Amino acid sequence: MRTRGGLLIANVIAGLALGFTVANIGFGDFAELNRMFTFQDLRMLGAFAGGVALVVVVFALIRVRRSPGRIHKGVIPGAVLFGGGWALSGGCPAIPIVQVASGYVPALVTIGGIVVGTWLCRWVNARYLRVDVGSCGR
Amino acid sequence: MSNYWPWWAGALGLAVVTINYTVSTDRSFGVSSAWDRVLHWREERRAERLEAQFTDERALTEALAAATAEHFGTRPGPTAPPYAVDTQAPDRAVEPTTATRPAPLVTQAALLLSILVGGWLAAVTAGRFDLRLDMGDGFREIVTDSPPQMVGALFVGGILVGFGTRLAGGCSSGHGLNGCGRLHPDSLVATAVFFGTAVLVSFLLWKVV
Repeated sequence: MRTRGGLLIANVIAGLALGFTVANIGFGDFAELNRMFTFQDLRMLGAFAGGVALVVVVFALIRVRRSPGRIHKGVIPGAVLFGGGWALSGGCPAIPIVQVASGYVPALVTIGGIVVGTWLCRWVNARYLRVDVGSCGR
Repeated sequence: MSNYWPWWAGALGLAVVTINYTVSTDRSFGVSSAWDRVLHWREERRAERLEAQFTDERALTEALAAATAEHFGTRPGPTAPPYAVDTQAPDRAVEPTTATRPAPLVTQAALLLSILVGGWLAAVTAGRFDLRLDMGDGFREIVTDSPPQMVGALFVGGILVGFGTRLAGGCSSGHGLNGCGRLHPDSLVATAVFFGTAVLVSFLLWKVV
């Protein structure tokens, strides 16, 4: 699955399964999301945290290669902006796609914002920030 | 109203997607990086073309070395340059470079489109598909009930998400599932920080609006 065609199939499978799962967990539902972030309902939190925990365990068991990681300067400010944006719009980069797919037309605006933000990041980083490798697609 | 999956089914689904992708491709996937690369398709296509050219040049060098060896009757011995070994074991020699190379641009566009199809299938099969011009009761109660303000909040939120995920180098899939799964320090920090901020802002939304 490391050829071009294999990668294409793997990405299509991952996309279909991810969209299906994320929509069925209820990440596209703003009320559910706010209940998760304010700990009123632990169902979605359990899905996300449980998913991460399972991945950690399985990756350790099958000894997935770990490339050396280090914390670059963009991580914390970027994560703060992302967390705020997620709580406000209800969208991480996959969720508005799922929302549109569920019939929420205004989520197209969120997608528009993500497009602008993504462009801005590369542009601003190239001109002003020059943060680090690993930020803004560099 | 809630015909959503129980927590364990969601956890299992997210884990299976992540593990299957990692095992079958030896890569991490990330939705925000897919967005980034698809939106910068001009630069990405140029980079891919350069990459292809580089591989071609290496293939040319190998072919020339083989032809030279044949012409002069010299067998590639211990003093031969390392690429002479490639002709005997091409798979093993090529694999490390392809494994670290980013997935081709088309596959990233396919990932985003497939999320749309997968989400649509989920909504239709669960009887949740509903074409509407608002973001639901939750958004109306917690954020705003005026359509212009809704558009403004979604757009600003979207910009923060797009800018923030790229500045941090990943989102809930890239850092959260794949990066934390590999116990990357930056992913663990990013996930803790974006989740913490989202909790804070979600509580603030109750107070302010």
